[in-house]
Amino acid sequence: MSTAFRSWFMLIGFILAYFTYLLLGALVFSAIERPVEENLKADLSALKAEFLNLSCVNSTALESFLERVLKANKYGVSVLENTSLRTNWDLASSLFFANTMVTTVGYGHTTPLSDAGKAFSIVYALMGVPFTMLVLTACVQRLMHPLTYRPISACQRRAGLQPRSASVVHFIVLLFLVVLCFFVVPSLVFSTIEETWSFLDAFYFCFISLCTIGLGDFVPAEKPGQSLRALYKISVMVYLFVGLMVMFLVLRTFHKLADVHGWTAFFQLPSCDEDDEDKEPIIEAGPEDDSPEAEKASIKPLDPSSQVSYNSINR
Amino acid sequence: MKWKTVLAIFLLVVLYLIIGATVFKALEQPEEGLQKYRIIQEKIHFLSMHTCVNTSELEDLVKQVVFAIRAGVNPSGHPSNESSMWDLSSSFFFAGTVITTIGFGNVSPHTEGGRIFCIIYALLGIPLFGFLLAGVGDQLGTIFGKGIAKVEKMFVKWNVSQTKIRVTSTVLFILFGCLLFVALPALIFQHIEGWSALESIYFVVITLTTIGFGDFVAGGSEIEYLDYYKPLVWFWILVGLAYFAAVLSMIGDWLRVISKKTKEEVGEFRAHAAEWTANVSAEFKETRRRLSVEIYDKFQRAAYIKRKLSSELGQNPGQDMMPCKRTLSVNFTDELEREGLPTLTKNGSLYLNGLTPDCPDRSEISIIEHLK
Repeated sequence: MSTAFRSWFMLIGFILAYFTYLLLGALVFSAIERPVEENLKADLSALKAEFLNLSCVNSTALESFLERVLKANKYGVSVLENTSLRTNWDLASSLFFANTMVTTVGYGHTTPLSDAGKAFSIVYALMGVPFTMLVLTACVQRLMHPLTYRPISACQRRAGLQPRSASVVHFIVLLFLVVLCFFVVPSLVFSTIEETWSFLDAFYFCFISLCTIGLGDFVPAEKPGQSLRALYKISVMVYLFVGLMVMFLVLRTFHKLADVHGWTAFFQLPSCDEDDEDKEPIIEAGPEDDSPEAEKASIKPLDPSSQVSYNSINR
Repeated sequence: MKWKTVLAIFLLVVLYLIIGATVFKALEQPEEGLQKYRIIQEKIHFLSMHTCVNTSELEDLVKQVVFAIRAGVNPSGHPSNESSMWDLSSSFFFAGTVITTIGFGNVSPHTEGGRIFCIIYALLGIPLFGFLLAGVGDQLGTIFGKGIAKVEKMFVKWNVSQTKIRVTSTVLFILFGCLLFVALPALIFQHIEGWSALESIYFVVITLTTIGFGDFVAGGSEIEYLDYYKPLVWFWILVGLAYFAAVLSMIGDWLRVISKKTKEEVGEFRAHAAEWTANVSAEFKETRRRLSVEIYDKFQRAAYIKRKLSSELGQNPGQDMMPCKRTLSVNFTDELEREGLPTLTKNGSLYLNGLTPDCPDRSEISIIEHLK
């Protein structure tokens, strides 16, 4: 009874902590962003007033025009001259869109306009998201062996460390490598290719994308007149997919670390199963690891003299 | 073999993406073209109606307006007295979208400080929310599992198969959950936000799968909302996500159980088959052994009687009772069986010599030899 009570207690504790965290974040965001927003509003009304003063346009005509422009812009259609040739739905961009959808990043810089597109999105997402998650989980489970289990056991053997410290060391090294290869280097690349992005903007983009938040304020390959746009979009897609896999790997390694240190048991959370071989059959038919074990278990030595009931004849 | 399977699945995913891309392109590009055409027409019309405005001025204005929109500021209407996108409740909503990784994007931080804080905030918040979701999903799954177990106990009396019960109860659970977390909110959004039915369902699905495009956001329009609307939306997102997580974990559990069960059943089947084979072959060998022993016994007795008779009758080599050499051989396959029976074996075969009136000495000698 006490363990059940404890797990509920932990859950409620988590919910309260979560609420507090949200509230804290809200306060900080509000404090940082609101002044900037006010400034922008003031700038914009000044611009509008200036425009109206200089020209023969009256307020209502401008408002209706702006409304139309904004509505089109919401769908990614720009009224500016030099972007009229580019489309958001050529094959590479559609592929990019489909990819952001199934990985649940969802930038929103292009969204389906037609009713048929929206209906198809619903069906596509409902099937694609679990499918992608399953694939990523399967890949990560496979990758855990060469990237986590073997290094940790090698660490234990060669350096003679305890499992706890070996896992901590491994996690720190892994984190450092991941941040270097999947955040710093791509940020440098993005900030070079995209002229309007600073290094911080590119880093922010990498982070928001790889956590699948996908706010959509920064999206690569959206600059008008981008050369090799299709290739760029596809390489960004590959980067997102591999990066997501690596993030899952890091998360799972952290979960194992928490297991080893007993945190998951303490917080009554579901633990990272040791028996990964059990999960592999979800994806594939006939895992090699299991069949020898199953064979050994099922086949008993065929020794007739070991059969008790037939040992009676002694001559 | 494993890597091949993973590669195959990966190729399947790529194929799925390509199919999606072609369908989206086919569906959306015409509509996009139409929108473009319309807006260009508007622009031309505007310019022609208001001849004192030239193209570059208009483009500048439009650029600024678009930038403002991206920053979350709506330039149409009266911007002075309307609510901010960064008041406490909206910021709370934004923080929620960051942590749940939905990330609508209709509001996003624009200052450097805001962005850095966003990164750090998400780094800590997403695992926190992940733990919460795992815990809630686990609890829901356990509750549901217990409910199913109870229902199963009831239905077992009616001799309905376990799989059927499980399947029907899952279907019921999914339907009920869909009703509560998808259909009902979609109706509410349709009514309050003024979206069409399709758009409401589209919003619900896109939000609960955490894709979160942001083209439709509940509580993001200019409508006058009731005070408790936004918190209620946020609460619905939390519970809806937990529901999705519970469904996914349940499906995952079942797949694992099915695969485990299949493995167990296959293992059991193999064990049974092996045991049966072992039993049958052992029995067969025993029967052969018993048979050969009985035959030997019989001949031994016959030989004894014959000896007795011949000694009583004297040296009377009579008629042929039996041919000289009759051998009955039973071959033992391995040493164990041989050692099980004393004597009687030469080179792994048992010889029983028949009695011959022609060669009594030999037969006696043979018998004695063999007895040893």
